[in-house]
Amino acid sequence: MAKVTVDGRTVEVPDGSNALEACRAAGVDVPHFCYHPRLSVVGQCRMCMVEVEGMPKIQASCTVPIRDGMVIHASSEKALAARNATMEFLLINHPLDCPICDQAGECKLQDNAFAAGLPVSRTSEPRRQFPGYDRTDIGPHVVADMTRCIQCTRCIRFCQEIAGTGELTFIERGGHTIVWTHEGRALDNEWSACAADVCPVGALTVKEFRFRKRVWWLEKASSVCDGCDVGCNVSIEHRDRVVHRYLPRVNPEVNDFWICDYGRFRAEGLNGQDFLRPVLRGASGERETNWGEALDSVKGAVDAALAEAGEGSVLALGSARLSTEESWLLARLFGETLKGRAELTVDDGELRRIRNPKARGSFEGFLKGREAAPNSRGAEAAGLVRAGKDSALEKLLAGGPAPRVLYVADAAFTYRVKDPEYVAALRRAPVLVVHARTRNALTDVADVVLPVASLAGKEGTFVNVQGRVQRFDVAIVPPPVVRTDLEVLLHLGRRWGAFDTRWTARDIFERMRGSVDGYAGLEWDAESIVGAPPSVSPAAAYDSLLAEPLSLPELVLPAAPAGGGAK
Amino acid sequence: MSGGAGTPVAELAGNPRTGEHGALSCGHPVAFSPAALERFEALLTRYPTKQAALLPTLWIAQEEFGWISREAVDYVASLLDLAPAFVWGVVTFYTMYNRAPVGKHLIQVCTSISCHLAGAEKVYHECRRKLGDLKPGETSLDGKYTVIEVECLAQCDKAPAVMVNGDDYERITLENLDSFLEKLK
Ligand code: SF4
Ligand code: SF4
Ligand code: FES
Ligand code: FES
Repeated sequence: MAKVTVDGRTVEVPDGSNALEACRAAGVDVPHFCYHPRLSVVGQCRMCMVEVEGMPKIQASCTVPIRDGMVIHASSEKALAARNATMEFLLINHPLDCPICDQAGECKLQDNAFAAGLPVSRTSEPRRQFPGYDRTDIGPHVVADMTRCIQCTRCIRFCQEIAGTGELTFIERGGHTIVWTHEGRALDNEWSACAADVCPVGALTVKEFRFRKRVWWLEKASSVCDGCDVGCNVSIEHRDRVVHRYLPRVNPEVNDFWICDYGRFRAEGLNGQDFLRPVLRGASGERETNWGEALDSVKGAVDAALAEAGEGSVLALGSARLSTEESWLLARLFGETLKGRAELTVDDGELRRIRNPKARGSFEGFLKGREAAPNSRGAEAAGLVRAGKDSALEKLLAGGPAPRVLYVADAAFTYRVKDPEYVAALRRAPVLVVHARTRNALTDVADVVLPVASLAGKEGTFVNVQGRVQRFDVAIVPPPVVRTDLEVLLHLGRRWGAFDTRWTARDIFERMRGSVDGYAGLEWDAESIVGAPPSVSPAAAYDSLLAEPLSLPELVLPAAPAGGGAK
Repeated sequence: MSGGAGTPVAELAGNPRTGEHGALSCGHPVAFSPAALERFEALLTRYPTKQAALLPTLWIAQEEFGWISREAVDYVASLLDLAPAFVWGVVTFYTMYNRAPVGKHLIQVCTSISCHLAGAEKVYHECRRKLGDLKPGETSLDGKYTVIEVECLAQCDKAPAVMVNGDDYERITLENLDSFLEKLK
């Protein structure tokens, strides 16, 4: 630790910090563009100028390593004059098209210019233009507008140092500089939209989100991506019951500042809702009904099965997409109260990776997810049995004895429901009940479809690949008759006196603490399980990170396609 | 998920635009001759990292291929384990890497201050006019001449200075321009 004095206030900062971090630790927000806590320091933008005692010239604070006893004047007249000059230079060539720029509202240039308080421009010259390089796709998810670029190189460093793919570079120099890819290539990697996240201005924006909503209208909720078992922390940004985007929520232990494109663009999928009321299907066809009748009919079927075939005649299938709380209810109700079985099956997914310098293991520097759903660990800990040899599910699929009632708590629990044979095998159960949000082959044949909310409408906890318990919150209220999986299970369980319908996810979480692995001693509200709150943008979440300067991952550049050659 | 780094852009929806700042294609894969490869290997021993050898490697490429094409960028990148984009960024930063084919004689007229005062501007325009009304940087139809304007060649005492490929020519004025061009033929 070193003692540093900033504007008369002395703070202790870890060795290896730079002057900019020291200023922020002292509560002095030095405006900056190119500095990013996870990218190498380049001193590119010259926005972060401060005076350092003992150094004759004004310094770019991000490039100055701190020394014990260093005295910094971050708000002196000289420092402010230097910063204002930089700001004026940056604005000379900036188009100032904030009214039509999708970054407005979360733009560092806008914020810093506003904070600098220079309302009047001294220039009236035409701004730089880059015909052909403005409002142009630079990759499948990113749109580039080079007239707005302030040459901070964050995006370039992101691609080199975090993604390790190095698609972007500066082309030309001086006032002609643009960020672009090598001719004919796209900015396309597993995390490409993060390049737009790190861009402080509107030079790179995310294609899927552009012009959907002014960012200041968005409401935010903390959530966890359910794309794989990494469990990246995301902020669900929504308005009027429509989810508009995910942004990464900074969590240095898990996803750091990043999320993968696959996870990010799952956000749109939260908006679909095919089932708005419970559906009963019988000899006389299919009809919508109310919850009372739907749940009573499930109870009737289960009671009949128990009376006729006895214990073990009911099988519940959970899903690694259910929260641990929901899995716990399912396991309690079907495993204990109804003396049946509660099982779980998980799909292997494509490999998902997130750069995290803290991650250890075979693939140093990345946290990896291999399952296609977020919570197999929590579901198992809560009492669902992973279907393997001799499980009731395997027997059913193999043509063995079928349970009298099959209760599927997530109609999309596996990609195999696309396979008609698989569905036919499940349908061998005389009574098939499913929870579903969207239509699929299984809901088409089920006897009872119970409409449930998406991840955005639920709260609960997931356990990720590291065994870390993470909480997600409700973002949007589901449509009027739609319920969460948790409510459905509570109301069903109440019919046998198993549960109290007033329980919330938090109550169940607290009940689970005594019995579920990994949950002992956890607090629902604890920061370790909540993660950072959703912030205006990932860039605004630095402060929590200042306590721990991180060694940067080694620079990894990919080999070029062997032998070159135009494709 | 689509592609990955290096996905040919034609295969993507919404291609990045190519334009005046992009690398031209020479239409075929390129590779160093054995002699050039030998020079390249020798080069590597003199630099701490492969990346550090980028500029001289590009020089070898320019000598080999005459100019730096998209394929040459890919090739050099693969030799040095760099991202092609990084190599292209370096090529565009410097003015002396040719980004398009040039004529047999690359006539580089200095128009910086000393030469300018000695009339280099007129020499530059006249030279282009004489070689067939060439635009700046344009190559004559017979493929022999390309005329460009460059900054100080460190021959200020012999202004106006001209460099043809690697060779210096001094005091090229409107008067001796004809004989200078004659000598090049
Ligand atoms: S595109 Fe954005 S992130 Fe990249 S250099 Fe320009 S301003 Fe910086
Ligand atoms: S790595 Fe997994 S959890 Fe993270 S964003 Fe991608 S799919 Fe979601
Ligand atoms: S933040 Fe320090 S120079 Fe850009
Ligand atoms: S100014 Fe022309 S050589 Fe120096």
